[in-house]
Amino acid sequence: MALIVEGRVIGLLSLLIIAGSIIYYMQRAYSGKLPKLRRLAAVNQIDEILGRCVEMGRPAYYLMDTVTMDNPSVLAPTVAAFQILAYTARSAARLGARFFVPVTQGLAYTIASEIVDEAYKAENKQDELKLDEAVMYLPDGADRMYIINHMWSDGMAGAFFLGSWYHKAVIFTENAARVGAMMLGGTDTTHNIPFLVAICDYSIIGEELYALGAYVSEDPTVSSSLAGQDVGKFIAVILIVLGSVLITLGMSIKGLLSM
Amino acid sequence: MQIPMILTAVIGLLMIIEFFFPMPASVTSLNVTLRSFVTIISATALILGTIVLTIFHTKKVGTRGSEWYYSIVYVVAFVVTAGLGVLNVRDTTFLWIYNNMTSPIGAALYSLTAFYITSAAYRVLRARNWNAAVLLVCALVVLLMLIPIGAILFPPVVPLGEWIRSFPSGAGFRGMIIGTSLGIMGLGVRVFMGRQKEHLGIREERRDSE
Repeated sequence: MALIVEGRVIGLLSLLIIAGSIIYYMQRAYSGKLPKLRRLAAVNQIDEILGRCVEMGRPAYYLMDTVTMDNPSVLAPTVAAFQILAYTARSAARLGARFFVPVTQGLAYTIASEIVDEAYKAENKQDELKLDEAVMYLPDGADRMYIINHMWSDGMAGAFFLGSWYHKAVIFTENAARVGAMMLGGTDTTHNIPFLVAICDYSIIGEELYALGAYVSEDPTVSSSLAGQDVGKFIAVILIVLGSVLITLGMSIKGLLSM
Repeated sequence: MQIPMILTAVIGLLMIIEFFFPMPASVTSLNVTLRSFVTIISATALILGTIVLTIFHTKKVGTRGSEWYYSIVYVVAFVVTAGLGVLNVRDTTFLWIYNNMTSPIGAALYSLTAFYITSAAYRVLRARNWNAAVLLVCALVVLLMLIPIGAILFPPVVPLGEWIRSFPSGAGFRGMIIGTSLGIMGLGVRVFMGRQKEHLGIREERRDSE
């Protein structure tokens, strides 16, 4: 019997190297050696959007679209969106911005409620929070009409579109743009990134969604893990160049990849 | 407070080990059982969500809150549909409600995308600057390639459109997918190590007290 499942050796090696790099940089951060990280513009943009909402006396919406957490491809961006929600809700509580988080799945609803509740408690603003109005469970299908209707009636001043976005990206962002809301959009679903980038005032694409969750955690050991991810990028670039050269020279790498 | 993190790390590692290494049937069977817990927990959370939503709308009707009349629609629809479903999920009336009301409403709402995508396309395809102009030209070429009359009127758009889709667009998407995969791995490591736990609703201050 093979020690490793056939065809997954390269995957395992990549996982070990990249996960090892991430852990290495996190351990280095424990001993005070912090890597230099570029500040993500989205961190300022979250506060800017919430500040606008406070100035205008209008609410901010935090939308996550598909949050079916039993689907692996949706789980990761949803968890990232929850991490950013923790920061955004806390900023909203601190600044006094009205905050609305509609969620279309039961499991995600309970998590989002807990996050928003804890964020307001952390800022000692639990008196200002009406949890059943701030975080609302809207069954999938009913959410579109409810959210669009309230976008217009509330005249929302800011919106966050983060997580796993599909066709609703166009529907909600287009309405938010017509209402005049300032928007931050970010997803990892490649076919919807163009819509969010084109319509939203600010956008984060692909891995920035995950990086932002780490960046806003206010824990230097967590944000240091981003340097470990960069090791993976360097490896990817080297492999792409190497693969291109080998293929150009007529050398097949199929055998290597199917290890 | 450590229990959720330990559970996440142990179960996550079990799944990874099963993916890469041949495992005895007992471990595979354990993982299948653990995966079925996701469905059970999701179903429980769905019930909780439905209860919360029903309480919210019932309260709204009781206090005559803003647009309370819509809440009556919810309560009536919920009582009728859930009642029929509980009595007999294969009942023809219950299925009729699903096939002739829920399903068409869902399709109608989905079709909204077509209208919004048109106005979104207008918003996007304005040559406000150099980058937007490149996007506009590429989009026009690909659109012309995809519509039947486009290839008849301008035959060169077919190879040009295919090239745009296969090379610049394909390369960009692959770059994004590589970056996203690395981001997911980073997220996984942070969650497994218990360093990132906001998604569990655990407050920042509690980190210091642990």
